[in-house]
Amino acid sequence: MNITQDYFSCYGLPCSFIVDVVALRKLHHSLQHQHHPDRFVSAPDSKQRRAVQITTYLNQAYATLSEPLKRGIYLLQLEGMDPLAPTNTQMPMDFLLQQIELRESLDDIHSAQDPESKIDSMSALLTHQASQLESEFAQAYQASDLSVAETAVRKLQFIVKLQQQLDALEGVLLD
Amino acid sequence: MALLQIAEPGQSAKPHQRKLAVGIDLGTTHSLVASVRSGQAETLPNSLGEHLLPSVVRYLADDAPQVGTKAQAHLVNDAANTVMSVKRLMGRGIEDVKRFGENMPYLFEACDQGMPFISTVSGLKSPVQVSADILRALVQRAQSSLGGELVGAVITVPAYFDDAQRQATKDAAQLAGIQVLRLLNEPTAAAVAYGLEHNQQDQGTVAVFDLGGGTFDISILRMEQGVFEVLATGGDSALGGDDFDQALAEWMRQERQIPSQLDLAQQRFLLRLARTAKELLSEVETAQLCFEGWPGEQVYAELVLTREQMNALLNPIVDKAIRATKRALRDAKVALGDVSRVVMVGGSTRSLLVQERVSDLFGQPLLNDIDPDRVVALGAARQADVLAGNQSGDELLLLDVLPLSLGLETMGGLVERVIDRNTPIPVARAQEFTTYQDGQTAMAIHVLQGERELVQDCRSLSRFELRGIPAMAAGAAKVRVTFQVDADGLLEVSARELTSGVAASVQVKPSFGLSDVQIADMIKASWSNVEDDRSARSLREQQVEADRLVEAVAIALAEDGERLLTSKELQTIEEQMAQLVLVRNGQDHHAIAKQIEIMAKASDTYAAMRMDDSIKRALAGKAVDQL
Repeated sequence: MNITQDYFSCYGLPCSFIVDVVALRKLHHSLQHQHHPDRFVSAPDSKQRRAVQITTYLNQAYATLSEPLKRGIYLLQLEGMDPLAPTNTQMPMDFLLQQIELRESLDDIHSAQDPESKIDSMSALLTHQASQLESEFAQAYQASDLSVAETAVRKLQFIVKLQQQLDALEGVLLD
Repeated sequence: MALLQIAEPGQSAKPHQRKLAVGIDLGTTHSLVASVRSGQAETLPNSLGEHLLPSVVRYLADDAPQVGTKAQAHLVNDAANTVMSVKRLMGRGIEDVKRFGENMPYLFEACDQGMPFISTVSGLKSPVQVSADILRALVQRAQSSLGGELVGAVITVPAYFDDAQRQATKDAAQLAGIQVLRLLNEPTAAAVAYGLEHNQQDQGTVAVFDLGGGTFDISILRMEQGVFEVLATGGDSALGGDDFDQALAEWMRQERQIPSQLDLAQQRFLLRLARTAKELLSEVETAQLCFEGWPGEQVYAELVLTREQMNALLNPIVDKAIRATKRALRDAKVALGDVSRVVMVGGSTRSLLVQERVSDLFGQPLLNDIDPDRVVALGAARQADVLAGNQSGDELLLLDVLPLSLGLETMGGLVERVIDRNTPIPVARAQEFTTYQDGQTAMAIHVLQGERELVQDCRSLSRFELRGIPAMAAGAAKVRVTFQVDADGLLEVSARELTSGVAASVQVKPSFGLSDVQIADMIKASWSNVEDDRSARSLREQQVEADRLVEAVAIALAEDGERLLTSKELQTIEEQMAQLVLVRNGQDHHAIAKQIEIMAKASDTYAAMRMDDSIKRALAGKAVDQL
């Protein structure tokens, strides 16, 4: 196992935004079966260390490829871009305004009469927006229109962040 | 003769060719050792036929320590030298132990690393040593009943055990001369014991509900193609069957109007009566509780408790476990209906109420036909058999996760998360940090574990220092800190300054930590304290900002304040600075932010003057073409 190759190559997959996540999990499991440190408990130290390195790399690869946001960022990084660079802060105005609105409705859930249904509807909205941005990214990436792809992935990052905050809020409210 | 011993590949003809490996459940109240023999996992008894070894060690002045039932007999008459429940002390610091060890009859002493030692007639004993003595007794038992040397053992730990507690457990095994094949989480071991991988119907998502005497553990796992993958773990390390007994004892006290100041004998009497009632009511509907022999002044009549009444008393406690279960399901992104199997572990799952509630929650019958006291050891034995290489072909593979998030301390006592909990292990993550002051040449690295945002609320795992960073402007040095967690969940941290290559590495050898209550609060509190944490974080951020500004202005004033400013200007700046220091020490982050703004405005002109002044001086005496 070459742990310097890109994450797609280690699973024998083409570099693409379209990934069958269930198939990926199966590939990941079969590679874990071969390389997991559990297979080397009686092997010399050097082999055990190697097994830890390889499975660390595999876990990182799987985590990256199984989530659309991380996968998108990674694809752009392979193209030599840095969509997360701190200098990279310009976003379209209408998108930012929409973000402010979403953030306000997130704050309103706290004091809402029926927070659970508010959470559900907001979650549906975010899922819809995320999947739109994902197909936007997929198309742009396919067409090698990398700057459009970059904008899509940066927007997606905003949405994913909101989803995480919504999840956390749901945890607090339902407990 | 040797030529005649022919065996099919993979099927050993000689039993001694099989590598002897055991699973050990190192428990708080009792421990067990188990092994796979003729394809079956079984717990190994001692010569008297007892399977459970009480986790009690008694130290003697000039003899080897007694372990188990023999030691247990001296808990009262030789309390100071007879150590029980040592698992609670593993990986803890002297300060924690002093706090929750109040009820323990031992003399604790600190050592240089802040680890607690118990003073006994046979000298100072660390919790690691006491655990090692228990492990030794189990290994001796295994070797005499299996008839050979062990190649190694799988030792189980609670899923919520942090790095310090895991490391202490591994250290104990090392001390006892045991090769640790793997540290395995108890709920995972229990799931393995049921052999779910053999049955196609059992593929899917499995919930393991582990309610012991003092702890509750919930794990969500996915079983697929011979891979057992932990999706999320959660729980409450201060919730268990002991709380049931406490609740029932409290009810009896109130019913009989016994004053709340109970002595030790009265407490024990009530708790014993509570336990009896609890066990009785799992068989009959009504229990009569007799206060005969009550060690108090009055003689109390009988008291009647129905199962319904008992359930009403215990339900609030079970509610807590149900809430933690739902939380773990959310973390695992698994819906209740998606769970295909529910495994019950721990003595307290014998309670009918617990069984009913859990079965209702998941809407399915529970897997509880393996003795809940032994199931963990049996699963560990199966895994030990796999790891020793006794099974060929498509064996079971266990993929585990990090139970508690890991992070580093940053400015102002905040924790920067480096690896989130429930991340599959082994895992490595690197994070870059920078220097805070001009010319800073050393950086202290403080590694923490827990879910909260402030350092004081997380468990401190280790501190080390990176020295020899070349002097640069603040923010120019880049320090990369790498966390590597291995398959046992143990952490190694290394740090390197990228521009110079200066390196530092530590094996995390923790010395102090949190109290029981703090551990329990870690995950739980990270939910209820989201708001608190957020404003606490804002406060710290503003404080750091304020300190930065005050320091910068103070340095500037010392350099050229009197030269560049009129005494009135100087006074204004100094007044605003004093005001900023004042609010900075308060609790209102809005007020600090406001004062920072005022202070920045007040010093704006001064900053501009300094800029002009330094340009003037740089240009002084130089011709235009020299620039």
